[in-house]
Amino acid sequence: MKSKTMKIAFLLLLPALAAVLFACAHTQSIAAWHPVEVSYPAMCSDCHTDYRAAMNHTSDFYTTHKFYAAQGTQNCTVCHNDSFCSDCHAHKEELKPSDKYKDSPERSLPHRGDYLNQHKIDGNINPASCFPCHGRQNNERCKECHR
Amino acid sequence: MKIGFILSLVLSALLLLPEISPAVSLSGDSATYVSSRQASDGTRELPLYEYLNFKTENLGSQNITFYFGGWLRYDLNNNEVFGKDKNSDLQYAYLSYRSTEANRVLNLGRVMVFEGVAAERVDGAYARTDLKGGFGVSAFGGVPVETNIDLPGNNSEYGARVSHQIPGVYTIGLSYLKEEKNSEDFREEEGVDLWFRPINKVEIIGKSSYNKITSGWMQHTYNLLLGPFEKLRFNTEYSSTNYKDFFTGATSSAFTFQPGGPIDPNEKVSILGETVSYAFTGGLSASVNYKSYNYDIAGNATYYSGIARYASAKSWGAGASIGRMAGDVERLKYTEYRVYGYSKFGKVDATLDYLLVNYDEAINLVHAAHSVTLAAAYELTEKLKVGADVEYSENPDFNRDVRTFFKLTYSFDFAYGKKGGV
Repeated sequence: MKSKTMKIAFLLLLPALAAVLFACAHTQSIAAWHPVEVSYPAMCSDCHTDYRAAMNHTSDFYTTHKFYAAQGTQNCTVCHNDSFCSDCHAHKEELKPSDKYKDSPERSLPHRGDYLNQHKIDGNINPASCFPCHGRQNNERCKECHR
Repeated sequence: MKIGFILSLVLSALLLLPEISPAVSLSGDSATYVSSRQASDGTRELPLYEYLNFKTENLGSQNITFYFGGWLRYDLNNNEVFGKDKNSDLQYAYLSYRSTEANRVLNLGRVMVFEGVAAERVDGAYARTDLKGGFGVSAFGGVPVETNIDLPGNNSEYGARVSHQIPGVYTIGLSYLKEEKNSEDFREEEGVDLWFRPINKVEIIGKSSYNKITSGWMQHTYNLLLGPFEKLRFNTEYSSTNYKDFFTGATSSAFTFQPGGPIDPNEKVSILGETVSYAFTGGLSASVNYKSYNYDIAGNATYYSGIARYASAKSWGAGASIGRMAGDVERLKYTEYRVYGYSKFGKVDATLDYLLVNYDEAINLVHAAHSVTLAAAYELTEKLKVGADVEYSENPDFNRDVRTFFKLTYSFDFAYGKKGGV
């Protein structure tokens, strides 16, 4: 009961607080869509000199993009549709991203080649890297063996 | 049931809108795949997939857009694939209001949320806005979209993130989420996320997450990015994970570790890595990577690799890499190699990709796993493309495995009303 009351209070309080505060904010929103076509790989610092320059899509951006997304997906959606994210971050999925895009070998896509055997090794080394995608979503295939 | 609820929510919202704008546009992609592969029982599976994603803009207002992404599958040989004769999934479907001021966003439907500790999907609502003085706030709530969720009790999830930033210098966020499954507490997490750029060419980014249920830090993960100095960049990575606190709230037994099993439930790992990259002139780049895995219980491991890549402006590219995993146990000792190339000749794309993994200790009496893929595609029109690939592999689980994959992709972009039809 207490938990439910806390939950309701939290849900009511937060938007109310936000409504009061944001009435004062009149900053310009980030563009809904990038006004200029960007070539692959996107090197934001070619044009931007402010904080956006940090989002250069260098080869290691594959490992750091989660931090940028956790702080502001509005920067991502300037160039990417949700389908770009859900290609890998899927709820239920039967096809590996690397199977759908075999014609893009330059892209950093997980699980190339035979991953059935390799996942046993990778899973031992760092299971925390599997968990964000397969912990609560996209694990129906895992359950075929991990019952 | 849930999908029906979302669609009725979205359709109701559409009906409540003022008359449809005279410049409604519909754009998206359709991808049709047919995969051929041999199942473990010797039968050949031939699943047909249709992936559809689209967005409908200017629904009554320039600020309102509807997004949809989903797929369905049917096996043309009438076999069961992954235990089901047909399958489908709604990845996302939501109505979005986006203001031209303060980055205000309100999404309703099946939404994806990436905010601090939250990397979730919920059937519900997500909202964010900038506040005065560099502050920002976001909140979400609804029914979690997860596997194993059809439980009789209450299933709900909600969370929020408050942030502050000085653009170009730092962004710091505090976030919280709580999930209740089957009327019981399932997850309760708090976190801090940071992006800090004290001086030009120096950047620290990362986050820490805390499990309120187990009262322990789940994970700290941070990167120090330096450069570019001329064409040289450094990326130092550090992470620390407590398995007991991190692997809670899983819906798969793959993450339920038992004492005496291959992974100890009380394991702790810290990973320290360094990547040095150099961009030569003319599309050539190279990087070397070193990563050290230090476990409290299991034996340690070290991974190092080197990669070289070339990409011409538009017509072709190639890459090669070699990596070595050196663990304390034989199972974690292997060397991996990869070579790939792709080229575009007019309307034809061709790709060749080869991977080889040599195990120090044989697995199922096999010392190496390798696969070679040949792919080709033809651009029928600017928006319509057809392609196929064949993959041959030999590995500890499959001997001479051949898989083929056919795909047809179509991009569409229709505008109605003032903009003129297609």
